[in-house]
Amino acid sequence: MESIIKKIEQEIAALTPTLREEETGVVRATGDGIAEIDGLEGAVMTEMVLFDPTFDRTLEEALKDSDQIYGLVLNLEEDGVRVVILGDSSKVYEGMRVRRVPALAGTAAGEAKTGRLLSIPVGDELVGRVVNPLGEPVDGKGPIKGTKLMPIEREAYGVMDRAPVNVPLHTGIKAIDAMIPIGRGQRELIIGDRGVGKTTIAIDTILNQKSEPEATRPICIYVAIGQKESKTARIVADLTEAGAMEYTIVVTAPASSPAAFQFLAPFAGATIGEHFMEQGKDALVIYDDLSKQAVAYRQMALLLRRPPGREAYPGDVFYLHSRLLERAAKLSKEKGGGSLTALPIIETQEGDISAYIPTNVISITDGQIFLLADLFNKGQRPAIDVGNSVSRVGSSAQTKAMKKVSGKIKLELAQFRELEAFMQFASDLDSETKKRIDSGQRMTQMLNQPQGKPLPFEVESAVIFAAVNGYFDSFEPSQTSAAEVRLQDFLQREAKDVLKTIRDSKVIEEATEASLRAALDKFVARMAPKTEATPDAKADVTTLEMPVEAAEGIESAE
Amino acid sequence: MKNPYAQALYNAAQKDGADAKDLVARLVKLLEKQGRSKLLPSILQDLQRIEARNAKVDSVVEVAHEKDSAHALKEANALGIHATKTHTNPTLIQGWRATAQGKLFDRSAKRSLIELYRNSIAHH
Repeated sequence: MESIIKKIEQEIAALTPTLREEETGVVRATGDGIAEIDGLEGAVMTEMVLFDPTFDRTLEEALKDSDQIYGLVLNLEEDGVRVVILGDSSKVYEGMRVRRVPALAGTAAGEAKTGRLLSIPVGDELVGRVVNPLGEPVDGKGPIKGTKLMPIEREAYGVMDRAPVNVPLHTGIKAIDAMIPIGRGQRELIIGDRGVGKTTIAIDTILNQKSEPEATRPICIYVAIGQKESKTARIVADLTEAGAMEYTIVVTAPASSPAAFQFLAPFAGATIGEHFMEQGKDALVIYDDLSKQAVAYRQMALLLRRPPGREAYPGDVFYLHSRLLERAAKLSKEKGGGSLTALPIIETQEGDISAYIPTNVISITDGQIFLLADLFNKGQRPAIDVGNSVSRVGSSAQTKAMKKVSGKIKLELAQFRELEAFMQFASDLDSETKKRIDSGQRMTQMLNQPQGKPLPFEVESAVIFAAVNGYFDSFEPSQTSAAEVRLQDFLQREAKDVLKTIRDSKVIEEATEASLRAALDKFVARMAPKTEATPDAKADVTTLEMPVEAAEGIESAE
Repeated sequence: MKNPYAQALYNAAQKDGADAKDLVARLVKLLEKQGRSKLLPSILQDLQRIEARNAKVDSVVEVAHEKDSAHALKEANALGIHATKTHTNPTLIQGWRATAQGKLFDRSAKRSLIELYRNSIAHH
């Protein structure tokens, strides 16, 4: 040991320090996570700078507190720059030296001879990890090795580099896959009040990817912005328990983190996703939620003395979200054919989707899933408002099997919502209206799905096929949910081959349809209450109508 | 917002062979012609602010040991840093460093040792 120490001492004695030339500035003022810096004339936007606490300290003091504090240049001014501090801002003081960080060789910034643009480590090693927006691990599983650095602000791919969205991304949620299908490379907004199941949809989508073949399974990136750490911890625990962390990365900027982290987190998620997309893989990124990112950005912009606009948001808050969501893409074959699907989440107040940030993001995305607190309180899960929800590009990505079975659901449900108000006058309704209401109720019940139970695509198709073709008509509308659960179980036990055929071929051909109908007949014969009508659709109409007409007759006679 | 007249005056004064008296006389004449003589006090204030700010980034050469002064000044001059004296800063341990015109030239052992320490803990 002594010899080693002696050797080190000799090395230090013989040390000939090399000359380093760097551009530096001096902190003029600091507060609220922002620092005003004199100098740094060559700095460019989103460049990283390093606050150097070692400059006026002794070596011993410097080594005791060796954590480095980075800053992000966001305002270029006449006589200096304004920087957002990415770390413990209480350690930054007036008069502190700030250095520009040299760009890495081989990067675009390196070639342009600018400083290092804010970059994060990306790579396969990130899968299964929980990181902060700077890509530093926060899960206590040690450092992440084998990564490369990518700038977090990048220009989105252009028109010629993209291909149309034509591959489905199954969420495992019947209501979404049937009525608001999502394609790989699409941007679908999930919007609603707090506590109506927005995150649940996102997490179920991640869980459902487990049923995808490994080769085509998307890498999922869940970005938690301004969330309670307890909530993120619960999500990570749920994903781990379900085995979904094997293909998931969590980027977290909790509510306790600086506004700059909450502003950066979605961009970090997009960068990680782009890495996989550029490798020809599929990736799914969930931004939970962009309302909080907008609030964090507003805070930063006001502290940076940028002029406030509507609701005190800065003028470029639209661009903040548009440049982020434009990075979602389905790349052309020449570019490897990878995709990045984005599911941004927006929280509304009192269901107001016409507020500033919701309208902005609605106009940027390719559709929205609108969740209603009223439906949620009535027990509908997921509480999707079918009338206000839409997918603008997803239908071209929907599988033929799903397209075939789900054609009329949306219209039927919309009609049901119109008639729903009359339900309390059930005894006074004509038979046609009552039938429609019953059918709508059955459909709503069938689409009900508990949290954390996404269904494989083939089971969804078979169940929706059964509902659309009247196989639940033999059950009371209120019993449809229970019957549907039994049907899933029955199909997975006794119609495995049919499900496999649908899964492999992605279509319901005539022969498959016949086998499916046979299985459904068997299910109805076994499970349906004996006094009820038969499931055959044509026979149903007459048998179901008879008692109603009879009842009407009795009433009129009275 | 800094007064552009103050910035222009400061920039002109920095040029080689600039005559401060002449520059001020020309500025006063220009302001009178434009009817903006009232700006003079604010120009003076801003000029003082620019001076104060640049004083912070003035050329300073620091050495770890006084005996290295001559060598440090020679090296610094070769790099375009016009300083005539050095300050002793024992925290540098060995070598010298200079700040001039918003740039830092660092040839101190302190910096090298800190980097050595950071690299070694990063690899463990």
